Amino acid sequence: MLTRCGDDLFSITTESPQDAQALASHVRDSGDWLEVIPGIDSVVLQFDASTYDGDDVRQTMESVLAAGIKPLQISSSLVEIPIVYGGEYGPDLGALCEATGMSAEDVIALHTASEYTVDMVGFTPGFAFIGGLDERLHVPRRKEPRQRVEAGSVGIADGRTGLYAMASPGGWTLIGRTPYKLFDPHAKPPFVLEAGMRVRFKAISADEFDG
Amino acid sequence: MTITVIKPGLQSTIQSRPRVGLRYQGVPGGGAADPLSLALANRLLGNEWDAPALEATLLGPTLRFDRECAFAVTGAVAVVTLNGDEIQAHESRTASAGDQLAIGAAEIGARSYIAVTGGFAADEVLGSSSTNLQAGFGGLQGRSLLAGDVLRCDSVVAESARTPDEFRLPMSSTWALRTCIARETDLLDDDSLDHLFNTNWTVARRADRMGVRLEGPRLAVSSDGRMPSAGVIPGTIQCPEDGSPYVLSVDAGTVGGYPRIAQVARVDRHVLGQLRPGDHVRLLRREPDDAVTELRAKLAYWREWLPDIDEVL
Repeated sequence: MLTRCGDDLFSITTESPQDAQALASHVRDSGDWLEVIPGIDSVVLQFDASTYDGDDVRQTMESVLAAGIKPLQISSSLVEIPIVYGGEYGPDLGALCEATGMSAEDVIALHTASEYTVDMVGFTPGFAFIGGLDERLHVPRRKEPRQRVEAGSVGIADGRTGLYAMASPGGWTLIGRTPYKLFDPHAKPPFVLEAGMRVRFKAISADEFDG
Repeated sequence: MTITVIKPGLQSTIQSRPRVGLRYQGVPGGGAADPLSLALANRLLGNEWDAPALEATLLGPTLRFDRECAFAVTGAVAVVTLNGDEIQAHESRTASAGDQLAIGAAEIGARSYIAVTGGFAADEVLGSSSTNLQAGFGGLQGRSLLAGDVLRCDSVVAESARTPDEFRLPMSSTWALRTCIARETDLLDDDSLDHLFNTNWTVARRADRMGVRLEGPRLAVSSDGRMPSAGVIPGTIQCPEDGSPYVLSVDAGTVGGYPRIAQVARVDRHVLGQLRPGDHVRLLRREPDDAVTELRAKLAYWREWLPDIDEVL
């Protein structure tokens, strides 16, 4: 569904984060856009209203959608992300254990058992939404977001794992932290993770974090 | 040459153009919160519109020029002094070595822009020199100015220039923002939709480069408040659980999980940078195509003084 949602914005509803990413990357390559922003179940497009008319943009997008979109390429390489679980690195692990009735060891074993896919990057630079969380770990966001969550923090909420590439306010249940630098503005590319990448988590000790 | 920061002001940062096309990686556009005032300051010095300049917030900085230097100040209405003598905004002039420039408290509007010929030296990251305070990159080490900081720019003596009266962006304490309905406007009940466009909103204390909270009647959305994260841009108005509209500004997150109940049209987005706590705001409902027509009329008006206005607004 294609909806005008502002003077220079359209929104397209998609079935899944993968569809949103596939559509976004197709659209980004095939047109002159100011922003193409994939979400969890949508893509928001910003066009240059000084040059283009909304009706023309709508027609172009309708024919793009009618022609069909190639599915997202899931990358073949697997990124392993080391995490120190619990303690000062994951201050909400205890609360999560209480909420789920699992031990910390069970939670860690469950979280490190699967392979995941990055659904989306956004909110703050490099923040990765990683889908595929085991249902036993589904918890809502915290009612009171934290004013500051440290860079590298690993949170879970709404069926996803979130990786904080940089310090920011945040409302996810924090279970650990990675020493990986997920965002370096001076590196090329500046972001370690992008949508479609396959990810696995690995438990490490606090000593390994500091080392 | 160098300029020494004697007093940093409340929040003074180096700002330039926004970062365009990176929201899908979580990088907000950023840049000057009031890009029109940035362009006007740079115009007085013959700079490109986006030459890195200082953006001062509510209380401006005091700066000491170590050598001769041409500069100009635009934006919020504030007392500006050079060595204690009041000088006019919207006029370029040349400071002598040792001169001190002080930008006082903003009386109307929120942000002043201080430009120098050729712009301030700044870290360019991801295509812009603008400071991103949240991520800590761009500008001067990704942060706001501190006392004792040393800024670098060229030492240039320039002829004085003035902004023509008809291009002095008017400052106010009551604003009207042309606004379209957005993706989740239909989640508002009838009364709330009526309130949205017929309330004289008050700008709350929470008004910064991330966004501006509006106080007034509590709006009711028919959802639990949270939605799957979806793309937002500056001017997107969200309705969080507390029912107070929150207008996203230049540094806001690139996706959001609250209902998007309205969208400030591009024609008036530059105004967001001048809203200050206590100001009054009305949202004027516009059909999208009408807002585009008004945008083009505004661009045509400003093009006479700012040839690159299409990039500014």
